[in-house]
Amino acid sequence: MPFWKKPKANLPKQEGQGEPAEGQSKEGLGSVVKQFVYGMAAHDMTRYALKTRSSMEHLFILITMGDLLGVPILPPYYSLRLLPYVVPQISTWKRRMLREKDLTDALF
Amino acid sequence: MSSVFALVVALVVAVLGYRWYAGYIDANVIKADPKRATPAKMYMDGVDFIPTGRHVLFGYQFKSIAALGPITGPIVAMKWGWLPALAWILGGALLFGWAHDYASAFLTIRNDGQSFGALSYRLISPRGRATLLAFIYFYLLLILAAFGSIVANMLVKNPVVPVAIVALMITGTLAGQAIYRKRMDIIAVTLVMVALSLVGVWLGTIWKIPIASFDLWLLFTLFFCYLGAVLPIWAYAQPINYISFYLVALGMLGAIIGIFLGRPPLTLPAYTGFFTKTGEPLWPLLFVTIACGAISGWHSLVSSSGTGRQIENERDVKYVAAGAMFTEMVLATLAVIIAAGAVGANGFAEAMKGGPANVFTQGMASLLGFLGIGQTFGVAFAGAMFAILAITIMQLVVRFMRVATVEIAGEKVPILGNMHVGALLALFLGYVLVKTGTWNYIWTLFGGSNQLMAALALMLASIWLAREGKAWGWTFYPMLFMLATTIVALAVTAHSMVFTVVPGLQAGTVVPPAGQSVAAAIAGNYIAAAIGVFLIVAALILAYDGLRAFFKVKGEKASQAAAPSHSA
Repeated sequence: MPFWKKPKANLPKQEGQGEPAEGQSKEGLGSVVKQFVYGMAAHDMTRYALKTRSSMEHLFILITMGDLLGVPILPPYYSLRLLPYVVPQISTWKRRMLREKDLTDALF
Repeated sequence: MSSVFALVVALVVAVLGYRWYAGYIDANVIKADPKRATPAKMYMDGVDFIPTGRHVLFGYQFKSIAALGPITGPIVAMKWGWLPALAWILGGALLFGWAHDYASAFLTIRNDGQSFGALSYRLISPRGRATLLAFIYFYLLLILAAFGSIVANMLVKNPVVPVAIVALMITGTLAGQAIYRKRMDIIAVTLVMVALSLVGVWLGTIWKIPIASFDLWLLFTLFFCYLGAVLPIWAYAQPINYISFYLVALGMLGAIIGIFLGRPPLTLPAYTGFFTKTGEPLWPLLFVTIACGAISGWHSLVSSSGTGRQIENERDVKYVAAGAMFTEMVLATLAVIIAAGAVGANGFAEAMKGGPANVFTQGMASLLGFLGIGQTFGVAFAGAMFAILAITIMQLVVRFMRVATVEIAGEKVPILGNMHVGALLALFLGYVLVKTGTWNYIWTLFGGSNQLMAALALMLASIWLAREGKAWGWTFYPMLFMLATTIVALAVTAHSMVFTVVPGLQAGTVVPPAGQSVAAAIAGNYIAAAIGVFLIVAALILAYDGLRAFFKVKGEKASQAAAPSHSA
């Protein structure tokens, strides 16, 4: 075995080390290259698209369900009609709305 | 010295640093735990916090950290010879750079995904956060000025490049419409648009635009940034970055193959002396002239706010953060080879008259020439590649400064809330700095602010490590070195501007940059010196607060260890 592949003698092998993450199969070189190229070329595009969509959604939820965060809005009839559709997103929405943010969050 | 040998040495350093030093810290100090839930898993919101595969993140991290810095810095640093530049790139990345990126990522991961503002508030002081954010604003302004100036200078010297840039903008915008609006197949769109971009580069070699007006090309560059800052990101900035990525990747691949085919020797002097002809000392100025490639504060922002929130498994951090840093080190070595080998002793001085971008385009064209690509096409290709790398970052910076302006003054001055006003204000500030400043000094200030950012990230990491009772020397001593070096570098630069350049301009012994009046150059030197002084003051405040916090934490840990146990 070449030296650079030798496991460190003083370190016990930890669970998960060198094994694919949960739900992933062993990756081939083609898959690695594909993921790397995607990461370089398109991953930030995907994130921006998700951010744009999420901003619009969160604004909409704030307008209709703002009272869940203590924003004093009149509880309109349509909020109740929309509530079942919003319920799955409420936990992440609250977390994003209440998380401390600063200017560096606007960069990435 | 053979360029291939330099590249091989860089690869060996990268492998050894990654496997042994980074591997040791990862396993024995941080103890990356694959079972520990990362913020990406704990707070998954599908947007900011999203578990992402390690190979994807490696690509994302590398793309985000490797822009113009690792290319421009080494070229500028050739004034001390290629050996100090190469030594700092390899040594800096090995001892400082990877540790900085890796620790920044772990800072966020082990602190609930918090960004640097929140971390400095908690770990240093409330004043620390405000100072840090003001500091970042000026840091970004300097990026805008430094990159804008480089691109404009390069366009003055290379009339084959402008058409290629416009072609890239058009093909990128069309790609955005095709992918997002028409929902066409992304692979087909990519192939067609990349091919059209190459046709655009070729057209640039036929339709030359020989306008030697720095002002015009500066406005041309800033106009693209304005569009990038105000248009929807999917419609303009992103698809252009996406298409240009393929050109950049092709160019880099071609350059590496060119090095192995041509094996150009490094013909520039290995070492020219401690002082340059204009009296710039190697220490501290080399260490701020070359930032990216050795250590760069920009990476800490990427590692914390960007990558740290997407890490799926703690064991991926070494691969993503340290791996990308060592890869960038190899890219910076490539820039040394381009300057000292591909352009070399015969053409470097002449090419440098058009700035480092011109050296890069000439050198890249020489390397691509080993693959049988014509010199003119090579220059147009490399020029477009360089410009797009700069404009990509500049667009991001203007967009960020627009947001920052609204946050800072939007409530008091409502008109600043308008996105066009915010973007134009940022561009105006950048324009004033470029028009009045001397490029060399702007680059040094930019490098200094970048390295200070790195020192601050290392300081945050050291305080956190001390709080956790972990070994902190691997971030603390690099932090001390970077802090001292950059504060001295900024002081030397500000002093030179006020006490050497300004009197020289007044006496007529120093010639103002082309197209500048003496009065404007004097004003510019004072503005840049004031920014330098501001950065020093901000750094000193943060250093004072940070070191106080660090020693307080260390003292508490020591007293806890010395206190007798009261448990029964």
